[in-house]
This record gives sequence, C-alpha cells and structure tokens, in this order.
Amino acid sequence: MWMYLLLAAGLFMGWSLGTNDAANAFGTAVATRVVKYRTAIIIIAIMVMFGAVLMGHQNINKLASIATNNEVSASAEQVDAAIAAGTLNTLKLKSALKAAIIFACAGLTVFIMSYLKFPVSANQSVTGAVIGWGLCYADYSNAEIRGQNLAEILEFMSTWLINPLGAALISFVLVFLVKKFIEKWLTSMKYYDIIIKIGYIIAGGFSAYSIGQNSSASVTAFYYDATGKGANLIYGNEGFFTGARIAAIIGGLAIAVGVLTFSKRVMMTVGSSIAEISQVDGFVVIIASALTVVLMGNLMAIPVSTSQSVVGAVIGAGLVSGVKKVHFGVLKNVAIAWVSSPTVAGLLAWIVGICTKGYFGA
Amino acid sequence: MLRKHSDVHATIVEQIKDVEKCLINFENFMRAATTPETVPETLRALCEGVMDAENAADVSLRAMIDSLSAGSYLPSTREDLISIAASCDKIANKCETVAKIIVQQRLVCPAEYAESLNEIFNITKQQFEILEECISMLFSKLNVLQQDPAKLDSIRALESQVDRIEDGLYETIYASNIELAAKMQFSHVIEMLCDLSDIIEDIADKIQIMVIARKA
Repeated sequence: MWMYLLLAAGLFMGWSLGTNDAANAFGTAVATRVVKYRTAIIIIAIMVMFGAVLMGHQNINKLASIATNNEVSASAEQVDAAIAAGTLNTLKLKSALKAAIIFACAGLTVFIMSYLKFPVSANQSVTGAVIGWGLCYADYSNAEIRGQNLAEILEFMSTWLINPLGAALISFVLVFLVKKFIEKWLTSMKYYDIIIKIGYIIAGGFSAYSIGQNSSASVTAFYYDATGKGANLIYGNEGFFTGARIAAIIGGLAIAVGVLTFSKRVMMTVGSSIAEISQVDGFVVIIASALTVVLMGNLMAIPVSTSQSVVGAVIGAGLVSGVKKVHFGVLKNVAIAWVSSPTVAGLLAWIVGICTKGYFGA
Repeated sequence: MLRKHSDVHATIVEQIKDVEKCLINFENFMRAATTPETVPETLRALCEGVMDAENAADVSLRAMIDSLSAGSYLPSTREDLISIAASCDKIANKCETVAKIIVQQRLVCPAEYAESLNEIFNITKQQFEILEECISMLFSKLNVLQQDPAKLDSIRALESQVDRIEDGLYETIYASNIELAAKMQFSHVIEMLCDLSDIIEDIADKIQIMVIARKA
C-alpha cells in the first residue's frame, strides 16, 4: 500500500501544473477584472475535470506507450515474465519508482528553468525526461526499438513546430473573422462588455478543458499499467472507468487542486508582451490556443506545451494587424524554453538512469 | 443584464442634461453680466439659477454612480464612465464658480469684451453639443465612433479656436487703460471661462482612449 505514496511525485507535478496553467486560461480575464478570481478557479477546476474524464485517457494511452518503449513502464512480456516468476510486486514497485524519478527530473527542470527565469513547459519536461531515461535503458541496438523510439522522438519534436504554427494559423483565421464581423455588433458599450465577459468565460472554460485533456496525462501516465495486469499503481481495462481514465481523473484532480489552492499569484502576473492585441483578440487567442491543444491531443495524443500554443496564437493574432505588431525579439527566450525544457529534463533523467542502472538494470 | 445596462445609460443621459441645463443658465447669466444695464439683483438671481442647476448635476452624478455599482458593466468600463461623468460635472462646477466670482466681486464686464466672451461661450456650447452626441454614441454607435473619430477631432479644433480668442482677449485687456488689478481680475475670469473648453476637450480625449481600447 505504501507504494501509492510514490504517486505523490506525479500529484505534485499536477498541482504545480494547475497553479501555472490556470494563468493561460483566465489570467488576462482575472487580471483585468473581467471575471472574478473565485468564479475563474471554479470554472477551471470543473472544466479541467471534464477534459480529463472525457478525453484525458487518449494522451494517457499514448504517453504510457512511450513510457513502455523507453523502459519506464514494463512491457507486456516483462509483466508476463514477472507473473510467471512471482515478482509482479517488485516490478510494480520498480515501475512506480521510475515514474517518481521521471517526475522528480521534470520537476527539478521546471525549478531550475524558473530559477534562471526562463519560460518553461512542464508537459515537455515530463516527455523529455522519459526520452532521456529511454536513451539510458532502451535497447537502441535493436532496429525495431530504435526505429520506434526515434519516430516517437521525431513526433515529439515535431510538436514544437506544429503546435505553435497550428495555433498561429487558427488564431489568425479566428481573429481575422472576428475583426471582420464582430465590429458590426459592437454598437454600444453594453454589447462590448457582454461580448468580452461571455467571450472570456467561454475561452477560459475551453482552455481549462484542453488543460484537462492535455496535461492530466503528464501527471499520472507513468503510474498506469497498459497491460491491465497490475504491474503499476493504476490499471484496469474494463468498463467506462478504465485504468487510463482513472489515471486521467487523478491527474485532473491534482491539476484542479493546484488551480483551487495556489493559482492566484501566477494568474495576476500573467501578461503577454509578444504582440499588441486588443481585449477582444485576447479571448480569441485563448480559444485558438485551446483549440490547437485539443486538436493536437486528438491527432497526435501527445501532451503538448500549452505555452507554445499560446505564443503561437498571440503571434497569429498580432499578424492580422501587421508584422510590425509582433515583437519577434521576445520569441528568443520562448524558443530557448521550447528546446531546453525537454533537453534538460532528458539529460537529468539520463544521468539518474546511469546512476541507478545497478538497481533498475538488473 | 441588459436592463441594468439601460438604467446606467438613462442616468448618464440625465446627468449630461443637468450639466447642459447648468450651461444654459450660465449662458443667460453671462449675457446679463456683459450687458451694462443689468442690475446686481438680476445677476444674483441668475447666479442662483446656475447654482441650482449645478446642485442638480451633482445629484444626478451620484445617481449615475449608484446605478453603475448595481449594473453589470466591466470594472474598466465603470471606471471610464465615472471618469467621464465626473469630468462633465466639472463643467457645471466651473460655471458655478465663474458666476459666483462675477457676483461676489461685482465685476462689470466692459462692453468691448462682450463679443469675444460671447464667442468663447458659443464655441464652448458647440463643443458640449458635440460631446453630448459622442457620449450618446458610446451607447448606440460605438463602432461608428471607433471608425471615424471626426466628431472628437472637431471638439479639439474648436478648443483651438477658443485658445486663439482667449489669447487675443488677454492682449486687448493688457493693452487697455484699466487698472492692473482689474486687468488681472478679468484675465482670471476669462481663464476660468476658457477652462470649460479645456475640460470638454479632456473628456473628448478620454472618450477617444476609451473607444480605442475597445476596438475589436
């Protein structure tokens, strides 16, 4: 039972995701007092849970598969062998320990990057740590494993481009349409205020939903045993509440708790200096960013960086008013974070992997 | 929600009408003040009319603020509307101050300044009428105001005209043979009278900022 204490590492990651990612959903609205903080966190918590319950399992399954290929979670063969040898509990302990190590590496990366004042992506750090662990443990001499893992790494890296570019494109189109049509409705301040209020609530709710769908996997996927035979803390393949769904719900809960307990400071300090955008564009950007994350989740099922999609969406919105409205200089720091978050986490996991080879390699 | 918004609009319209009434009373007062035959009692009675109108404007400003606190406007819109209404109230306050000074100091305006003073006042009234229209557009044609700020620009252009007349008046006053104290006394009253135009211009600026901040 005490093994379940190892879940704390993932839950802590979820909690910190909640404290930070809530800002993407309602930061602007709360800071400009369009939506009250209390209203915002309640909407976020509810919508995060919706996202996690309804769609979170997709990312859980994909991340669990990446974890298996990178020797973080046990494969079906390893589970069967452990059952035959009567060492399933040992395998379970090792899998949970590895998951905790992955979260520790990702958490440390987030801490270091934040300390150095670089923007950071927790989701990307988690996936980076898994890949780093795999570089230490996966059998890259095996052509099949090598091909599979390299394809996953490429797919993971491709999100660095597809995610922000997709968000920029969606945002550009949405902002263009809004500018074209919404001005006709802005005949009075009462309509303006109503549009802004409703727009930010819908955008924030949808964004929170996308966080639930996207990030819940980054919290508990490595504690999930896809074989359903009990080789990790969370398992089960039957009914609506499958192991993947339960994992997503636990992840969603951790994020929701983060939102409800400690998100105020980050939410109040959020602001974008990447492009000059209007208040109307503000909620369109949030919708575009959330839409991208949801689409990425449905198409690739990889947890993507929500900050990447926000940045892309802000650029797309800025481009509608002209290239001069976009402050490309700011992008340098953001680009560094995109690459460095998973790289640093991967490097840390690789080092820990080497140091613990005596235990996990055995 | 829409009902609350309508209430706010109605109270703002009422407040602007009260300020306008104060301006009309002040206009009557100024016409009398620049007519040499006017007796002090008439001037005092007209001054009281200005003071009453100013009081009414104060009351409607408070009613407007109360309606805003009960309404569902965004905090930023509330702040902007209160700022505009408070600035409109300054117009009434200034009218009252000028009228009181003229009555208390028994200021007799030389006939040669009357034409310029009336011209300043007519332009100020013209500015206020345009301002009233712009404030009304915030509630009915916001998009038109966003696309074409010509009305707001015309308020600024009229303020420049007032500035030119004001400068000419100072030159005439200081070139005249009246005592320095009287020159300074007149200059002070003219300065305050021209402040009305400046206040209206400031409100036009506030409206423009408000409109730009809400551009889609």
